[in-house]
This record gives sequence, C-alpha cells and structure tokens, in this order.
Amino acid sequence: MSALVRWGIPAAVVAVCVGYLIYSASGGSTVYYVTVSQLRSQSPAGDVRVAGVVANDVQKSEGGLHVTFTEKDGTDTLPVEYTGTLPDIFQPGITVVAEGRLGKDGVFHAQTLLAKCPSRFSTKPYTQ
Amino acid sequence: MILGYLGAGALLAGLVLGGFSALLSFFAGWRQADVFIQVGRRAFYAAAAMTAIAAVLLEVALLTHDFALAYVVEHTDLATPMALVAAGFYGGQEGSLLYWTLILGALGTASLVTAASLGGRVLAYATGILASILTFFLFVLAVVASPFDLLTITPPDGLGLNPVLRDGGMLIHPPVVLAGFAAFAIPFAFACAALMAGRTDAAWIRHTRRFALLAWSLQSAGLLLGMWWAYHVLGWGGYWSWDPVENVALMPWLATTAYLHSSQVQEKRGRLGNWNFGLVILAFLLVVLGTFIVRSGVVPSVHTFAISAIGPWFLGFLATCVVFSGALLALRIGVAESRPAEAPLVSREGAFMLQNLLLLGVIAVVLWGTILPLVSGMLGTERVVDAPYYQRAAGPIFVFALALMAVGPLLPWRRAGNATWRALRWPIATAAAVAAPLLATGWGWGAIAIGVASGGVATVVTEYARAVRRKPSVLVIKRRRYGAYLAHVGLLVVAVGIAASQFGQQEKDVTLQRGESVTVAGYTLTYTGSEQQQLADHTEYIAAMRFGDTALAPSRATYAGLGGQALTHVAISTTPLADVYVVLAGTNPDGSASLRVLVNPLVTWIWAGGVILILGVVLGNVGEREMAGELARRRIPITLPA
Repeated sequence: MSALVRWGIPAAVVAVCVGYLIYSASGGSTVYYVTVSQLRSQSPAGDVRVAGVVANDVQKSEGGLHVTFTEKDGTDTLPVEYTGTLPDIFQPGITVVAEGRLGKDGVFHAQTLLAKCPSRFSTKPYTQ
Repeated sequence: MILGYLGAGALLAGLVLGGFSALLSFFAGWRQADVFIQVGRRAFYAAAAMTAIAAVLLEVALLTHDFALAYVVEHTDLATPMALVAAGFYGGQEGSLLYWTLILGALGTASLVTAASLGGRVLAYATGILASILTFFLFVLAVVASPFDLLTITPPDGLGLNPVLRDGGMLIHPPVVLAGFAAFAIPFAFACAALMAGRTDAAWIRHTRRFALLAWSLQSAGLLLGMWWAYHVLGWGGYWSWDPVENVALMPWLATTAYLHSSQVQEKRGRLGNWNFGLVILAFLLVVLGTFIVRSGVVPSVHTFAISAIGPWFLGFLATCVVFSGALLALRIGVAESRPAEAPLVSREGAFMLQNLLLLGVIAVVLWGTILPLVSGMLGTERVVDAPYYQRAAGPIFVFALALMAVGPLLPWRRAGNATWRALRWPIATAAAVAAPLLATGWGWGAIAIGVASGGVATVVTEYARAVRRKPSVLVIKRRRYGAYLAHVGLLVVAVGIAASQFGQQEKDVTLQRGESVTVAGYTLTYTGSEQQQLADHTEYIAAMRFGDTALAPSRATYAGLGGQALTHVAISTTPLADVYVVLAGTNPDGSASLRVLVNPLVTWIWAGGVILILGVVLGNVGEREMAGELARRRIPITLPA
C-alpha cells in the first residue's frame, strides 16, 4: 500500500465527515440577515436577523426585562418586542440586530437582541 | 504638535529603511552577496528602531495629553485614568497597527540576530520577507492611517473612552492578542525563506520553534483573557458567542496548534516537510485574513468595526501573501523531502496527522461560518449562522481531538505494539467511569467530552507515574515533553470547563419584591433591597442580594452624558462547582428589582486550565535554549544548493 493511499484514505474520510457536519449543521441554523427595508420588501420565512437603528420610542416594563421599540433604517420602520436583559449600550440611536420572527400582529418578536458594541476606544470620531 | 511631526518623520524613515532592507535582502540572497546581506539586515534593525521611536512618541503624546493629535483627542480625555490613557496606544485602529508593527520589528530583530547558523541565503530571504511585511505596515501607518495626524485647532479636552471599555481587561487583552498575531510572522518568514533557498530540512523549524511557541502561548492567553473579560464585564452570562471577531482569533490558534504538533514529526522523524510549510503559511494567512475581516467590516458582527480606508490595503496584502506563498509552495514542493511516510496509521506520527486533520476540519467549519454572509451576500440575500451551527459542526470534531489527546501520547513513534494497548486501559477506564454517570444526567456530547477529557488526564498521569517510577530526573531532562503534557492537562481542564458550562448552564429572568427569593439549579438567592448612588458622571443603581452567607451587589450605572447609556456590573459568586451570576436588568418604582440569574457550572476551570497551560509551556522551555545556543555557536558550515 503506497503512502499516498495509506494517508490519503484517512484524510478523505475526515474531509467527508467534516463536509457532512458543516452541511447538516448549517441546515437548521442559518438565518437571513436583513435590514428593516429588506424585511419589508422580501418578507423571508422563518427566523431572521434584522439590523436597524433604535428609534426614540423605547418603552421598558418589568424593570427593563420587557421592552418595545421601533427599529428603523433609511426608509422603513419595524415595531419590535423583546423580553430579557438588554445590552448595556442599548439606547435610541444605536444599531441593534434583533433575531426572531415577524408575527401576524405586525410586531417583530425578538428572542435575542444584540447591540453593536463599540470596539473602538473612542466615543465618536472628532469633527471640527 | 512637535510630537506629531517627529512621529510622522520616524514612520517615514522606517518606511524607507524597511523598503530598502527588503529590496537589498532579496537581491543579496539571490546573488549570495554576504556584505549586502549584512547591510540588509542592519537596515531592518534600523526600521524596527524607527518603529520603536514612533511608538514611544505616541505614548508620550497620550500621557502628556497632547490634544493637537487627532488620535489623542479621539481616544482619551483629561478624566481618563492614566493606565487607560497609556492603553490608548493600542486601543484605536491606528495605534493598534503601530503596536503590531512594533512587536513585528522587535521579534523580527530577535529572530534575525540569532539566525546566523541558518546560512546566508535563508537569512537574507528571511530578512527580505520580514522587511516586506514591516514595510507594508509602515506604509499603512505613514500614508493611510497615521496615528500622528494633527488637528488644525487644538481642543481643550479629548472625547474620552466608552464606559464599556473603561476596564482593566482593556489593559491586557488587546496587547496579548495582537502580539500573538504579530509573532507568527516569524515562523512564516523563515519557512518561506527556507523554501526560497531550497533548504527544506528542519533547521528553520528548530530556529523558529521558540517564536512559534511564543505566538501560540500569546494567542492562547489572548483568547482566554478575551473570554474572561467578556464573562466578567459584558454581563450576558457567557464567554464565547462565535462572533466573527472571536472566530478570526480562533482560527490562527487552531492552525498554530496543528503546526506545533506536526513540526515535531519533522524534527524527530524527518517527515511531513511539505505539510509543515503548508501549515505555517496557512496560519499566517489566517492572521492576515482575520485582520482584513476585522478592519474592513465585510461581515456583520456585534462589534462595530472601525471601517476605514485600510480595508482595501489589507485585502491587497492578503492577496499578495496568498499569491507569493502559493507560488512558492507550488514551485518548491518537489524540492522538499518526498520520502513516503513509512509509519503505519496507529503510531505517534499517525496520531499527529489525525490531530492535524481534525484541527483543519474545525478551521473549515469556523471559516465557512465566518464568511457565509460574504458568500451568500454575493449570491442573494445575506445569511448568517447561529451558535448552534458551530456547536453541532465543531463540537463532535473537538471531542475526537480530545480523545486523541488521551491516546496519542501513549503511542510510540513508528509502530504500536501490545504494550501500547495495555497502556491504554487506564485512560479508557477513566473515560468510561466519568462519562457513564454524566450520560445518565442527559448531557449527551457534554458527558462524552468530559469523560474523554478525563481519559486524557489519566494518560498524562500514567506518563508522569512511569517517569517517576523509572527515573524521576527524566522529568527535568526531557522537560519539553513533560511540560507539553502539563499544557495538555491545562487544555483538558479548559475543555471540561467549557463542556460543563455549555451543557449545564441554567438561567432565570425574575422580578423580585424585597425579601423574595429565587432558586436556580438548587442555588437560592434573596433580594434584600436596592439603593441609588449619584456619582460624578453616572448614577448607580445597586440591588442587594443574599446568597447563603455572601452578599451580592449587582448594579447598573446610567451615564447621563452619553445619552443614558447603561453599564451593568455583574455580581458573581464562585462556589466549587458553579458560578452564580447575577445581572441587574433594572429597578422598579415599587422597590422591586428585575434580575437575570444564571448558574454556570465549572467556569472557573476554564481560567484555571489556562494558567496550567501557560505554566506547562513555560516550565517545559525554561533553560531549553542551551542546546540550540550550542549549535549556533559551533556555526556548522552549510553547503547551499546553487
């Protein structure tokens, strides 16, 4: 048995297994990543992640564990409802990514809410 | 003001010297002109020195609050504590690039000073490659994203630092990660130089072993420090979220881990030469890819990347590195040894090979998850993968890799006999004994992972026991080997902590009135009241909690000056088996508090394992230099192929 065969076969087996794992795992856990206006125009089925800016109408209840607000981009808006702890930097004007689905009531029910966190050291670029 | 001019001048001088060093060194290597090799090398040292001068100037500008510099204004203010002002050096985009370049210059210098034994051509080409990388960074710093840009009007104060980043983690995590990435340029440069010179024996591996180990240690520590920081500061209850920023730091670590193992096959057995070149190149390309992804914002991330003009430049750099190293591999692959690997599959060689394949498998999983938004975005609507994708795809591969840590160290080089099978009885018995009761609790893969990891620890224990019984001094003489085993234990402890906290985490969101209690996973906490403190720039709401005899005080600060931005301070109580992790979501007008309570089993094992891991690397290599130094002193003459 040549070296190529002896080492090639296990390599091929590992490669096939990894390929299968990637294929099977991505089946259930890929979601669309869209902006608010894309969600409005395409209305993809199932769970989606929607990125947008938090509008100035944040309403908190239950000590901040339940929140409703409007997510907007340049053209469209989306009412969002979420239960859970909010990211620290959550406030009107920041970009958030809500993952969940659009209900029949026209409200986006988010299971997770991520805020874009400042990986920059500064608060904002300095403009004169 | 003057610091800005001096700094920009130092960067330009470094750029010219670096470019000169690169061109001259490649030419000198090609013509084998010893004098030019010397000059090229010294030009590299000079470029590195200029980078160091620029770094010192930037640090001085920060510490003296020189608000004539835009960088100082954008990243600090007069109220920022001095330690964080100093950390501003690597906190912003331009400064972090300068820090990268500084480390590259320093380690490049260290690697070239000691490289005489490798022979003139390898030395010349290595200088050329290191100088090219240095020149690229200095070009970006001097021309595209300079930390020394001046403002036309000097403001009285800076903009300061986001409260999320005002933390001690900011002081140590970024520099360790960045240094780990920069350090891997050294093995890459020497591997490519050896390929160019046609010297495909293991000399380059021996020379760069310490740099590869340093890079790996820094990357390991950087990943763990990042996890620690996220867990203690960000307050979402976990430490890893499979965000692109984390993924691009994980991939080079996986490739470096693979290389540290396969390089031993070449050192000890003279095999896998081509494979090692490929791995080193892959690890470096993953570093550059990661830098490009982080700096360009091409994939969606929780982190707001500093999108700037440097993205395209890094794409160009990545393309150049891919073409250069790819061409080098394609042209020289025949030159490297192509003796067939004689060893059968069940042998130390086979175990290393399989480990490499598994780690490459994990890299493939992570890479696909990271670039999927990019690929799907080109083909239609952008799609992203969730954490379950990584858990389902990479989890099983990690479990197999853990199993290999139990089996591999017991396999002898070349072939395994009956003695090997007998030696395996302890790890297998341990794995079964640990996994069986855990499987009954329904942890599934988590139970298997913890069992297999215990088997790995049993393997190391039997190896240590055998050494102690036969000849204890071998533990010191062969400390590289026994230090590596200790590092294995560290990683296994980390793996147990990760498996337990992934599979055993329990959480509850509750609103409690004063005196009410909540029980999560058998741990009972009582809410005893809240208070409010008014501080200089923020208001702090503190909830008082009672957990057994300990008082916990999760709090939430609100910064009025930043549009009401909040900052939670998590309260963590560590018990031997689990962390009780309390996040205050908010306090209500009726005096009640809304909280998220998590119980995270064995998270402390992750941090403890990290310490053991670094300890293993350090103990295994202290004083190991003597042998390498001896070889270098003897200056073995090397005949070079024309």
